[in-house]
Amino acid sequence: MEKVTRRSFVTTVGAATVVPASALLSSTAHAAAPAPAKKSSIEPAKTAYLFFDSEEALFIEAACDRLIPPDESGPGALGAGVPNYLDKQLGGAWGAGERLYRSGPWQSGTPSQGYQLPFSPAELFHTSLRAIRRDLGRGTPFHEMSAEAQDTYLKSLESGAHDLDGVPSGVFFDMLLKMTVEGFFSDPVYGGNRDMVAWRMIGFPGAYADYFEAIDRHGVKFEREPMSLAEDGHGQVHVRQDIPANL
Amino acid sequence: MAQRLKEVDVVVIGVGMVGSIVAKELAAAGYKVVGLERGQPRFTVPDFQSPGVHDELRFDIRKALMQDNTREPVTFRNQGSQVALPVRRWESFLPGTGLGGSMVHWNGQTYRFQANDFQLATRTRERYGKDFLDPDVTIQDWGVTYDDLEPHYDRFEYLLGTSGKAGNIKGKIQPGGDPHESPRSRDYPTPPQKEHFQGALFRKAAASLGYHPFPQPSSNLSQPYTNPEGMKLNACVFCGFCERYACEHYAKSVPQTVILPVLLANPNFELRTGCQVQRINLDSTKKHATGVTYIDAVGREFEQPASLVITSTFAINNVRMLLLSGIGTPYDPATGQGVVGRNYAYQTMSTVASFFDDDIIINPFMASGASGTLINDFAGDNFDHGGLGFIGGAFIGAVNTNGRPIQYHPVPPGTPNWGKGWKQAVVKHYNHTVMFSLHGSSVSQRQNYCDLDPTYKDAWGQPVLRITFDFPPNDIKMAAYVTAKGVEIGKAMGAKQVAGSPRKGPYTVTQYQTTHNTGGTVMGDNPKTSVVNRYLQSWDVPNVFVIGASNYPQNASWNPTGTLGALTYWAIDALKNKYLKNPGRLVSA
Amino acid sequence: MNAHSRRVWILLAGAMLTVTATRTMAAGPAAAPAAQSTATPAPAAPAAAATPPCEACHGAHGEGMEAAHVPRIAGQTAEYLKKQLDDYASGARDNPIMSNFAKALSEQQRAKFAARYAAMTAPHVAAAQTAGAAQLVRGHQLAYQGDETRRVQACNACHGPDGIGVAHAAPYLAGQSAEYLASALKTFHEGTRKNDAGELMRSVAARLNDADIAAVSGYFASIRFDRSTH
Repeated sequence: MEKVTRRSFVTTVGAATVVPASALLSSTAHAAAPAPAKKSSIEPAKTAYLFFDSEEALFIEAACDRLIPPDESGPGALGAGVPNYLDKQLGGAWGAGERLYRSGPWQSGTPSQGYQLPFSPAELFHTSLRAIRRDLGRGTPFHEMSAEAQDTYLKSLESGAHDLDGVPSGVFFDMLLKMTVEGFFSDPVYGGNRDMVAWRMIGFPGAYADYFEAIDRHGVKFEREPMSLAEDGHGQVHVRQDIPANL
Repeated sequence: MAQRLKEVDVVVIGVGMVGSIVAKELAAAGYKVVGLERGQPRFTVPDFQSPGVHDELRFDIRKALMQDNTREPVTFRNQGSQVALPVRRWESFLPGTGLGGSMVHWNGQTYRFQANDFQLATRTRERYGKDFLDPDVTIQDWGVTYDDLEPHYDRFEYLLGTSGKAGNIKGKIQPGGDPHESPRSRDYPTPPQKEHFQGALFRKAAASLGYHPFPQPSSNLSQPYTNPEGMKLNACVFCGFCERYACEHYAKSVPQTVILPVLLANPNFELRTGCQVQRINLDSTKKHATGVTYIDAVGREFEQPASLVITSTFAINNVRMLLLSGIGTPYDPATGQGVVGRNYAYQTMSTVASFFDDDIIINPFMASGASGTLINDFAGDNFDHGGLGFIGGAFIGAVNTNGRPIQYHPVPPGTPNWGKGWKQAVVKHYNHTVMFSLHGSSVSQRQNYCDLDPTYKDAWGQPVLRITFDFPPNDIKMAAYVTAKGVEIGKAMGAKQVAGSPRKGPYTVTQYQTTHNTGGTVMGDNPKTSVVNRYLQSWDVPNVFVIGASNYPQNASWNPTGTLGALTYWAIDALKNKYLKNPGRLVSA
Repeated sequence: MNAHSRRVWILLAGAMLTVTATRTMAAGPAAAPAAQSTATPAPAAPAAAATPPCEACHGAHGEGMEAAHVPRIAGQTAEYLKKQLDDYASGARDNPIMSNFAKALSEQQRAKFAARYAAMTAPHVAAAQTAGAAQLVRGHQLAYQGDETRRVQACNACHGPDGIGVAHAAPYLAGQSAEYLASALKTFHEGTRKNDAGELMRSVAARLNDADIAAVSGYFASIRFDRSTH
């Protein structure tokens, strides 16, 4: 029985961000170029948030911008669309508790025993963000703080100094950081790593990966534009955040 | 009410590599075999195809090919004095599921254990004295020797087509191979895979220190190969999406590429997927299995009668199957009595990171799961442990399998966890770092064991497995020793900075180490300290055979899979030529 | 100074105008570990004939000649084209016409011609589309998914989405002559063409029958890429 793989050519659904191909390079045999530090020529499209409310989104965007900031090597998490990635993951099956054993009874356990809270990721984020908003209260909202002040606040979350309505702030911070790195480095099919900026930054070639001959060239830089699993023959990435976490 | 089905000769629980091989051999010998697999059927086309399968988030981070922990978790604690809690997300080890089992997503690293490993207790005493070991350490001899298993190692390697270079053929040391290996009857079926740059750097440095580097034996094949079953495999292209992924190219030796089509074509075999076996049923004497009870995907309960039951699920699930079925006496660490669950062990993993300047371009993403270069000079008992205070060791190698960036972005110690400093370090070091793995042995100790959890249940209402484990002090000492050796090799490579990370306790389930869970249904000569005899037959219920890394009395310095394949063919030999001709106890108790 | 040209592929199917590009970058020759990504080959090529001999068969724009099974080479990676010329010259690949041409060229000239055609764009030559609807479906299946009964993986796994090629790995198939693709697959199937590293193509082609070959060749030929400079 033929079964068309769900990973085959599919089109964008919903309000996903579609990234047209930017400048792509070809060269003559005489090219002796170092890796091109290609800048995205596309302005990040406005994210249509499904999960975060507008205040939460402001926090998340500002936090992403500090966790992986833009610099001379390229955009950071914000420019790469990580808030969009977080939004769609948390708003989907992953946020609802996919792959998380959620039955009780619950005890906090030892560090070796890992996460033992009843919260799904979605619940954990909403709960934490609500508590942070309250914590910052009438003071400066996070997104209006200076970069230094934001870093200080993030470090205080990281150190576990806050109880966020039952969520130890270190647990929230670890999840936020982990998911930020995921959103930065995952395939752009998931709505982050926009235009593959993160892959280009480190030189990771992406989903098309036949290195049978290249592996012999020890110490020679591998020059190829990164390729997404979701790009079509025209270089267009078809974003699809809802790929299930099981085969 | 369970519906009773028509009796068959053999039920195989778990249709992974072991189950596939056993079922194929017994079906080919004329027996009616039913294979019960909990997961779904899947095949190279369409399920393993790229580019879709090259999705790090889905397969690495979200663990798409793994056992559904939301329905069937395990619980864990370091010490018996603690309360075991559910492993709510898989991290440390990743049991597989589905047709083909964990060897669909394995790395293809295919080792043999050494002769010394099979008589570890006897030989350790002989060499180092009977007081050398910590009193809590419960290592044992296996009840079989390397020589017993050699032909079966050979058979398994030729089934897979493993790519490698022999180091010892019939006692003659071969240049370019591992001089420490125990003698093999012939070379590997295919030559070694190409060496990547990291491997070359390691090899030169290790050789300069007088060690003996050799190519990692790989079941991601170096060239096209047709195995004795007539199955054809292709050359691996080093895509760097090996462990946790399925191979799109028919280049990784997995059940689907080496044996399953042959099995599925045999009308003596019937595959049933989506079937969760609840227990092996016993008669009123409790010494004879009548078959198994399972619940299918629709929730219907069936009783499948059979003359012979083989449990070939993942190691820890074999242990659980016996406990749920009441086969064998469960181990009680307080009294030291009982055997099922005893001698659970793992793997003691350390790393060394060597950071180079940016003129050294590594391209870490070009690799197979087993295309590394390593040394066994500090593995097993290959070096004199006198005065060191531990036994065991690790292979040390440049065996990094990938550059997948969500998980692989090495940075030197002291790098911040986030922010500009982190990002700069990632950019600086991603393509200029060589990671060594130090793959260390794991002794068993009386405090480490498996049993049924008293509180948590799976989705079918049955107690889940409880794992009580921490690293024995022996292994922590071993890890520190081998890591220091690894650091020396890193320096000999000319790296600018070398950082060793020796394994330290306590063992945590929050960090991936390996999926090399062993023990719990240990094999041996003595029913007081083993669950199965040397032929993997239950001492208590002779028509039940248990095949898995759960048979290992302790774990050695190498990945368990090669030895598991050897044990499988060894047990099949006993089944076909001894047991099935004359069912009964093969070894008197 | 190294020039990178930006190329845009215009799709004329329907009313859609999409921007695409090939992603190709020549890697350096196999070298001792070096910091730079590629070595610059010697620049001073001898004064070549005004019209290179390639044109007579491969066309002024490298578009190929369908009727004579001459492949389209415009926009193929320089690395791939050079390797084929080197293989013709050494005998690793054999064709009575190409072998003679390649042997008459120095290595520098082979590099030069490879570069020349890699830089070219050429309009899609509308060859007679002989593939029927069923063949296109079958070809698409083999391209995107493979076939378990044949034990062949998806062509696109190496050849890229829509077979547009993947630098350093596999040449483009999209818009290639169906006849040429079929003849290439047949020679791989028979084992008379042997210059595929790791026998990667021979392994696949050996498991395809004539109908499969016709289907996948016709399918890739049907992908219409018109190429022009941006």
